[in-house]
Amino acid sequence: MLFHTWSFLLFLLIVLPIFFALRKTRLWLVWLLTVSYFFYGRWNPYSLLVVLYITVLDYFLVALMERCPEEGDEAGGLTSPTRLTRLTPNRGVWLAIALVANLLPLLFFKYARFVSENLSAVLSLLHLSVKLPDPSSLMPFGIRYVLPVGISFFTFQSMSYVIDFYLGKVERERNVLRFANFVCFFPIVMSGPIERAGHLLPQFHQFPAIRLHNFTDGLSLFLVGLFKKLALAGYLSLYVERVYDNPASCGAPALILGTVAFGWQLFFDFSGYTDMARGVAKLMGFDLLQNFNSPYLATGIGDFWRRWHISFSRWILDYIFMPLQMYWRDWRYAGTAAALVITFLVSGIWHGAAWTFIIWGALHGLGLAATFALERSAYYRKRVPTLLKQAGTFCFVSFTWIFFRADSLGDALVIVRRMFTAAWRDPQVPALMLVLVALVWLYEYVNESKLRRVLEISVVRVGLAVVMVISLCLFSSGGGTFIYFQF
Amino acid sequence: MGKESPTEKTLLNACQWLAVLAIVLPVVWLTPRLWERIERYDTGPDYRVPYELSNDYWLYSRRLRQVSDPNQIVVLGDSVVWGEYVLPDGTLSHFLNQESGAADRYINAGVNGFFPLALEGLITYYGQSLCHRKVVLQCNVLWMTSPKADLSSEKEEPFNHSRLVPQFHPRIPCYRADANERFSAIIECRAGFLAWVNHLQNAYFGQKSLPQWTLQDDGGSPPRYPNLWRNPLRQITLVVPSAPQDDSQRGPTSPRHKPWSEDGRGSTQFEWVGLDASLQWQALQRVIATLRGRGNNVLVVLGPFNEHMMAEDNRPAYRRIRDGVAAWLAENRIPHVVPETLPSALYADASHPLTEGYALLAKRIVAKPTFQNWLTGTTNRP
Repeated sequence: MLFHTWSFLLFLLIVLPIFFALRKTRLWLVWLLTVSYFFYGRWNPYSLLVVLYITVLDYFLVALMERCPEEGDEAGGLTSPTRLTRLTPNRGVWLAIALVANLLPLLFFKYARFVSENLSAVLSLLHLSVKLPDPSSLMPFGIRYVLPVGISFFTFQSMSYVIDFYLGKVERERNVLRFANFVCFFPIVMSGPIERAGHLLPQFHQFPAIRLHNFTDGLSLFLVGLFKKLALAGYLSLYVERVYDNPASCGAPALILGTVAFGWQLFFDFSGYTDMARGVAKLMGFDLLQNFNSPYLATGIGDFWRRWHISFSRWILDYIFMPLQMYWRDWRYAGTAAALVITFLVSGIWHGAAWTFIIWGALHGLGLAATFALERSAYYRKRVPTLLKQAGTFCFVSFTWIFFRADSLGDALVIVRRMFTAAWRDPQVPALMLVLVALVWLYEYVNESKLRRVLEISVVRVGLAVVMVISLCLFSSGGGTFIYFQF
Repeated sequence: MGKESPTEKTLLNACQWLAVLAIVLPVVWLTPRLWERIERYDTGPDYRVPYELSNDYWLYSRRLRQVSDPNQIVVLGDSVVWGEYVLPDGTLSHFLNQESGAADRYINAGVNGFFPLALEGLITYYGQSLCHRKVVLQCNVLWMTSPKADLSSEKEEPFNHSRLVPQFHPRIPCYRADANERFSAIIECRAGFLAWVNHLQNAYFGQKSLPQWTLQDDGGSPPRYPNLWRNPLRQITLVVPSAPQDDSQRGPTSPRHKPWSEDGRGSTQFEWVGLDASLQWQALQRVIATLRGRGNNVLVVLGPFNEHMMAEDNRPAYRRIRDGVAAWLAENRIPHVVPETLPSALYADASHPLTEGYALLAKRIVAKPTFQNWLTGTTNRP
């Protein structure tokens, strides 16, 4: 059930009135969980087992962790009234168990085949005739081996709760219903934003205060998301597919424009999804994290990651980069650079089990390692023209999208090679598409400039909303599923 | 967490939302109505909806609204009424006009690719203007010749005009659209603005959405994309396209316009679907009920089915179905005619006559006393 479908509208028309009707009872949490499980289970009921596994696992592991003496509390442990306390594993052990157990389904469903195939290839190169089993053969009861939608999102979200509890940033959630809702809240379970326990969990403690602005803001966000998905991403995908389905037949300009178009398509698709998710949550009185902030106006790679998929970049920053940087702090610049490269390698792997994603992550890691000091320098910030910085960042980011989008590493390399060697012939790009993208870019540019007040005038806002509604009827080209669902 | 995103800044407050609604609702309501006034739509005698616009239900609805003279009789049906193998001047409505001596008394309201289950949706949602007038409804038993044709087969089958068929009830076993497609179809049928958008796509953009049209290729190798830099607004000529003047696929000079068989005898064994189980027959019954409920005076023409095509032992089953339909019509006091089977050489296939076949069929229908009584009847009420 996708946000931009009539089925979802019907779903919402059933969910919302009952949700509001239950506001004075404790059943609203039960209702929310029921509809979330229904929403998620409609994709593949068996995937719900993974959600339940993660929920139960983290709920109980944090409970066990709570019973342990805190790290560095050895003395307290020794002086505790019972010897049992001394014998229980400390929180670090439970954390390690939690991380491994959380990652197991992700590793199995997302990476097992990739690892198995690559290991088999290596073994055959070494003339070892060891046949590794295909992970699909390990599935019980004839259940199909398919990646549970959104597994990377809800796993990381739940893990953040465990880690934050370990770090003392959040209290243990004692109500299993609240925690289950946190893991599987239907607006975000498929593609985020990856929420933090400290932000979302408290919102489940009491029925949210619903005001008129919840409806108006929610509808506004939903409209913007719908417009991005149906009118813009859907259109761009037609051109991108034509180029990327057969890169060997395209000239250099088509490959360049196809790659740029993909960058915008991905932005409209993913940020459109996020806007709709935030809009739906807002209609119910919940506030979700912001995930995008005009990423193609970024003035550096670091700035890009502060604007693109913000909830995920904050996650990897907090839980991967920071510990690594702390661990290698004595290496100074080299330590930070190494931490960045490893963090973004993980980011690439998180996106998918393919060499293309690993290279995409590595490129960003290397790019950040090479430029993070420059980005902070006064010369770069004050002397280099903003447009130039934006153009440079956009070119780099667009180049990396080649590896993100290409169907295989071979295709990606063909595209890169042909971009520099193929003939310069007509890219066969529709003028209307260029105009639409240019208008969106102009809108974002104005929005970050001194002219932004123009966009805050009521007439302009209303006009834009009217244009979006009418365009949805005239421009819509189906939409299809969301790109980030595969992650 | 960074600055407020552009999205946050475009959030509308309640007053602004009201302003949006105050603009959008009139636009959505008025545009199709104004469009009908400014877009030229030439019909005239023997007009039929062009084959390329068969999916343009908004245009069909407009066509029915144009039939303003209460004495005009609308002929409803599938491609048999539309005239699959013949030119506009070779159709049933043309020859009925000829028999009546009037140029435009009988209106060809057949649509190519239709069948009763789709006709039901068309009449329900796009044929509201069809009320208090005489209607000739053709009943084609071709749709009961097999579970596949009846759409009652359990095997998934693609078929035309799926957005018009009942989406949930009654269940069509071979229709496997997901819930969203079904909801979309239901909403599209009820939203006039969306039907108008569909009209624009059908009439001016080659049955494609605007984005798809800009990227449409010419089918060559290597493909060329003629619409990339074309101004889409210039496509909208404000004149509904008419059927091509020289249709090489239809008419006496077309290679398709020939008898179905050289010796005129067939051995086809149809897997007839009984009337009790037939989804198409049930749909036709509902169409009749809808039309009569709107005050129309309906006459059903049962046939012309090509009996020559069937094996001898298959004919009794056909006759049972034909007689069953006739009996139900008689039982419900619905005027109906069952024209005799045409000579074999006048059929192009199982149910479509050739030009001479339509001429003979019209003569036979007009000659029936039932038809004459129905025609001269003064009341439009059933």
